[in-house]
Amino acid sequence: MSRAAAAARLLGALALAAAALPVRAAAQKAQWTDVVYVPGTWAGGRIVPRADSLALVMRVDYFSAPPQWRAEMRRTTDGQTLGAPEILVGTGTQALVMTQLGTTPLEQHALGRDPLVRALVVFDQSGRRKGPAAGRITDRGADGAVTRIVYRRAVRNPDFDVKLLDPGNRAGGRTLLASGISAVGDQRSASVVATAGARGVDRVKTPGGDVPVRPDTAAIVRMEHFAVGSVALEAFMRAGGLGPYAATGDSTGRHP
Amino acid sequence: MTRPCRAGAVVCDPMPVVPRAASGRRAAVRTAGAALAAAALLLAAPVAAARAQSLLDRVRQAANVARTLLPISTAKEIEIGRGIAATIAGRFPVSTDAALTRYVNLVGLTVASQAPRPDITYRFAVLETPIVNAYAAPGGYIFITRGSLAMIQSEAELAGVLAHEVGHVNRRHVIEGIRKSDTMREVRNTVDIEGATLDRVVGTGADALFTGLSRGDELEADSLGLEYAAAAGYDPGGLAAFVGRLDQHAGEGPVSEFFATHPKPDERVERLVAIAQREGLSGGVTLEDRYRAIVK
Repeated sequence: MSRAAAAARLLGALALAAAALPVRAAAQKAQWTDVVYVPGTWAGGRIVPRADSLALVMRVDYFSAPPQWRAEMRRTTDGQTLGAPEILVGTGTQALVMTQLGTTPLEQHALGRDPLVRALVVFDQSGRRKGPAAGRITDRGADGAVTRIVYRRAVRNPDFDVKLLDPGNRAGGRTLLASGISAVGDQRSASVVATAGARGVDRVKTPGGDVPVRPDTAAIVRMEHFAVGSVALEAFMRAGGLGPYAATGDSTGRHP
Repeated sequence: MTRPCRAGAVVCDPMPVVPRAASGRRAAVRTAGAALAAAALLLAAPVAAARAQSLLDRVRQAANVARTLLPISTAKEIEIGRGIAATIAGRFPVSTDAALTRYVNLVGLTVASQAPRPDITYRFAVLETPIVNAYAAPGGYIFITRGSLAMIQSEAELAGVLAHEVGHVNRRHVIEGIRKSDTMREVRNTVDIEGATLDRVVGTGADALFTGLSRGDELEADSLGLEYAAAAGYDPGGLAAFVGRLDQHAGEGPVSEFFATHPKPDERVERLVAIAQREGLSGGVTLEDRYRAIVK
């Protein structure tokens, strides 16, 4: 084989290997959302227990590339809006709380004493998710009464930067926080709203020929400010029996 | 003096030193060599020029390929998309019906929550025009026309159409089209996409949206739309039902642009049905009543 042919083969092999790497990495990623309810209704900033209704308490967005994972928890204190995220990152069953100053082991942080938070760290030793990929998950107390219902939905073909799972990646953490994970208004970052508009476009091509236009940036500003919150979205999906809210079968015993 | 080169020699001289006594002969040889070299150059000049041209072409081709590989960041994608969205809103006014806008956003966000781009904030709006169409500007700015809403009969159909548009955003169809366009010829770095260059890029993207994306892009968005809508819990037949209904209105004014900018409806319906069967997608909700209650 000539040197040129050998070099071409080597380059081809390298290109194939390079192309295969992201595919492998993408195949390992998982992303899903748990929306957590307890029996009751919100009244005056408190949950009044009721057996015939569910009160939203938290939403958790999970990002996983085993053995590493990240969980962003947003609580509500009124059932209407979700608060700022509390972020856990982990490797296997080891969880760290991300703070403004760095990371703290979950056991040494106040969050570690919250049974709900501990219950939502749903990873095994290898960092893989425990429990079903999607659907309704019902937790019951010793007396058989429902204590919590989690509606889980998974993102197909997740596409997030695995660097964001790195506890040492402070910038990555800020990036993800700023990105607006699920494209819902109350998570939107104003910083990504660019200030540029279309200034010089005065004609556009259409199948019927060129037509004059006057770009309307003000309409886009209104569009950007029109936010529907994630709580409203959950209520909408629930009312329509969409996504995990269509599930008829329960998965139980999720939290050992 | 080093040894003449031979097989296995570690240190050698490829041009052994000629003894001084041979210097006159050397000069003659030099002259003859120079004459031969000049003749060879003259003879080879056209060949060399052709090779140089070929090399130049290759360099140009490589530069073109490199240009299409220029990454456009999400922030720049949003900036370009914002300009394209403003251009769309300049052609058709954006509805100020808050209840309708909220509903379209809720349906759109429901299907977008199945989409794997965490770096994008999806926004949805209604355009006040009887033309039947929908547009997806980069960065998540998605529009549907009143004409389309009048033709749609259920929330599942609306979800299918919006999910198709989300598919365009996720696959960066307009951005990829811009990257391969002549507009990018002058751009060496995407940071350069500012001012007048940004305007030209926005114009290219808006033209692409209004005159139609490639057939491949449309069919890919169909597949993704079907996937997202079904995963969100909607009847996976929503998009096919809408596209099939348009086929019954072929030739009518409001749908003419749609026909001019999309693959044939019957072909799309056939393909969508085949995908749903192959993937085992069935069930889901249609929610006609909720749709009719809000979209009048």
